[in-house]
Amino acid sequence: MPAPAATDPGEVSDVDLVKRSQAGDMRAFDTLVTKYRGRIYAMTYHLIQNETEAWDLAQEAFIKAWRALPNFKLDAAFYTWLYRIAHNVTYDWLRKKKIQGDGEFDDERTEHRVAVGAEATPKGDAAPDTALRNAELGQRIQDAIAKLSPDHRQVIILREVEGLAYEEIAALVPCSLGTVMSRLFYARKKLQEILKDVYETTL
Amino acid sequence: MKPPSENHDLIRWLDGEMTDAERAAFEGEMKADPALAKEAEEMRSLSASLRTHLPAEMKVPHADFFNSQIQMRIAQLEMEDSRQKPESSLESIFALFRQPWLAAASAVAVVVAGFLMIGPGGTDSEHSLILSSYTPGRGVEASTYHDSAADATVLMLDGLDEVPADRKISGISVHRSETEPEVAATTLFDAAGAPLLVISRDAAGHPLFLRNHPRG
Repeated sequence: MPAPAATDPGEVSDVDLVKRSQAGDMRAFDTLVTKYRGRIYAMTYHLIQNETEAWDLAQEAFIKAWRALPNFKLDAAFYTWLYRIAHNVTYDWLRKKKIQGDGEFDDERTEHRVAVGAEATPKGDAAPDTALRNAELGQRIQDAIAKLSPDHRQVIILREVEGLAYEEIAALVPCSLGTVMSRLFYARKKLQEILKDVYETTL
Repeated sequence: MKPPSENHDLIRWLDGEMTDAERAAFEGEMKADPALAKEAEEMRSLSASLRTHLPAEMKVPHADFFNSQIQMRIAQLEMEDSRQKPESSLESIFALFRQPWLAAASAVAVVVAGFLMIGPGGTDSEHSLILSSYTPGRGVEASTYHDSAADATVLMLDGLDEVPADRKISGISVHRSETEPEVAATTLFDAAGAPLLVISRDAAGHPLFLRNHPRG
């Protein structure tokens, strides 16, 4: 499952923050929100491809987590537990919206794409032309991801962004291992097809 | 090369899900099949690009508002839960005051305190009970007690600079309250039904207290 963020020396541990949160300490929970909001938001954004909806869903995940905290037995890392909640919240939303892939997206779902693409550009001292190419490629990849069906997008994000093993993906979705592999295969084939011109020039 | 729909080996090789023996066998297969090798290299390149350009962490727009709205919504939910329990509705309203985050975020210049009238109305035993208090200035601590002789609730502020003589400090007596969850606002009323205080949030999500000026 996704690894929790590294803890700096002197930083209060997640376990302490969770215990304080369970005792009703909202400041402790606020610290957890601040610590993990960027990762949860990234996950919801990648799955939804809409800044506003992703923002709302990330909030919903934290609120559900707060409500479920009394039942959290600390038998898993807090982030792993939170990630499952966020994933379920997001996928429930997708199911309700009955969004189908293959480019059937409205304009609203692709708003703010430029800003997000720029945010995704690797940091560094790249030359301007290299930075521009990176930004353009990042944008192309974001656009391509948006064109996948929700099921295909989900497994790609879980594998490539979160680094989950097949068994973890199968448990989270949930589906069989064979389905995980099939979806990964077809998702990658679809991305290859969409990004064909990019890889024809780079390979 | 196997048909694409059945080629899970390629995916498992790419994702490092093969055993050593399986990987050696598949890499041998790639050497004998240039088309498979090309396909594998293209997929590996694609995976590398995805990992580079799909960040696992992103900057949350309006991050402070993100946090404060979570807290506000949780407070609302807890108030709604409390209302469903057979306890005093005023008790649930003052749950807001007990939220440390609300107190911390507040920028009001004076102490905010909740007063609850207890006991049967109009009897000698009636007095104010302080449920919670907050001092925005660090180093200032608030405490209260009921002075029977003066029939008044006394608010003590330790660590406060001298209060100018022209500064008026007063408390409020809450008779009932109404909450509008949709607009995240709670209104406190006095015994005559006049609004005393509206607790809400501003556009930035910060707590907002709208005080009604006392009549007369």
